[in-house]
Amino acid sequence: MTRPQLGLSVLGPATRVTGRISGDGALRIEGLVKGDVNVRGEAEIAEGGSLEGNLSGEALDIGGTLLGDARAESVIAVRSGAQVRGELRAAEVSIEAGARISVRLETEFELDFGAAQRRR
Amino acid sequence: MAENSVIGADTVVSGHIRGQGSLEILGRVEGDVTLTGNVVVGATGRVRGNLSAAQLTVAGQVQGDLRGTEVVLVERGARVAGDIASPRIGIAPGALVRGHVQTDGEPALAPSVAARRPAVQPRVVAAQPAAARVAAPQPAAARVAAQPISPTLLKAPHKAEPRKPEPARPPAPPVAIETESASTRPVKVEPRRPPPPVVPVISKGTKAKKKKGRD
Amino acid sequence: MAGTVIGEGLTIEGDITGDEEIVIHGQLRGRLTTTDAVTVTGTAVVGADITGSSLSVAGQVTGDVTATERVDIQAGGKLVGDIKAARFTIADGASFKGNVDMEV
Repeated sequence: MTRPQLGLSVLGPATRVTGRISGDGALRIEGLVKGDVNVRGEAEIAEGGSLEGNLSGEALDIGGTLLGDARAESVIAVRSGAQVRGELRAAEVSIEAGARISVRLETEFELDFGAAQRRR
Repeated sequence: MAENSVIGADTVVSGHIRGQGSLEILGRVEGDVTLTGNVVVGATGRVRGNLSAAQLTVAGQVQGDLRGTEVVLVERGARVAGDIASPRIGIAPGALVRGHVQTDGEPALAPSVAARRPAVQPRVVAAQPAAARVAAPQPAAARVAAQPISPTLLKAPHKAEPRKPEPARPPAPPVAIETESASTRPVKVEPRRPPPPVVPVISKGTKAKKKKGRD
Repeated sequence: MAGTVIGEGLTIEGDITGDEEIVIHGQLRGRLTTTDAVTVTGTAVVGADITGSSLSVAGQVTGDVTATERVDIQAGGKLVGDIKAARFTIADGASFKGNVDMEV
């Protein structure tokens, strides 16, 4: 594995955390976390990683399991190998086909149907 | 193979659309669409109603639920306010979706968490019995052409859709809606008969508005 | 290299268990148990009992520490709590308050 960058925390695949995680920087979850996670940087649940709890960060990349609600300042990306159950809230949420999901998307936008086209 | 129907960009259809075959919506539909084939809502398409199909691709805007027995794809620029249910669901970056989104079958849960959250029932797709399937959906506004189905799209096996085993049906009958580049002609309304090997028809009372001045 | 790294800006309140190396630059309040090495760097503030194969403390630790191999408190490091380890060192400039039990 490459050396983690400064500002990046990694919970390795053989690590389990029960409790709250919060703070600055980015976080990659390769192991198992039970509890809420709230970081100011990007948060990633790697394939094989698992979070039972709520997740918030600048941007979220979900490749493993998330059972809980997630909120991002910018985007949430759910990868094809992910399993997600909960509410996802962000300016933009993308989901790769293959992901197993039961989620509520609370994206804010208006539909723009316009007037029915009727030219005479 | 069924011919494909198109609702042109300057056409408004008020009423339900159902049957076999595939449909491309470039105009406006106010009503439910239930087809056994594929449905593409092009970038100019606007649907206020529920959409149900085998492969459902949305690049326009929908206020209603999306159900795909095989796959639902929501493309960049699309806007969907409604629930989505399908074994495979793709939502591209740049698409906007608000609602409950669920692939059939439950993600594996640890027992403690399973107890915490109520089980969500997979939705039953209100689809007609399957006829010969048509084609993999083309991106956005391209016509849905008859092609062999791409194996990658159908990789996921059918899951959790409670369906009776169906008798083999003949290849899909010809489509009653003629395809024009800019408009949809008024169609014959066929009486329903069970089980209906009907062509894609528009329910009684449906008004297809077409532009005056065009053929 | 594999393992867990708790960055400087991160705070964990709760229990950490693992079978791999753990390096803490940030804050931990709770419990830490691993079968591998634990490194508490200079910026870290830890209020937890720690168990590992070895423990190196350059930051602050308040809690009892148990290591199957060794415990080393570096210069500038501070440990308030008991040590249970086969070997230990307390460097010049380190700070320590507690008991030591050297299993033989």
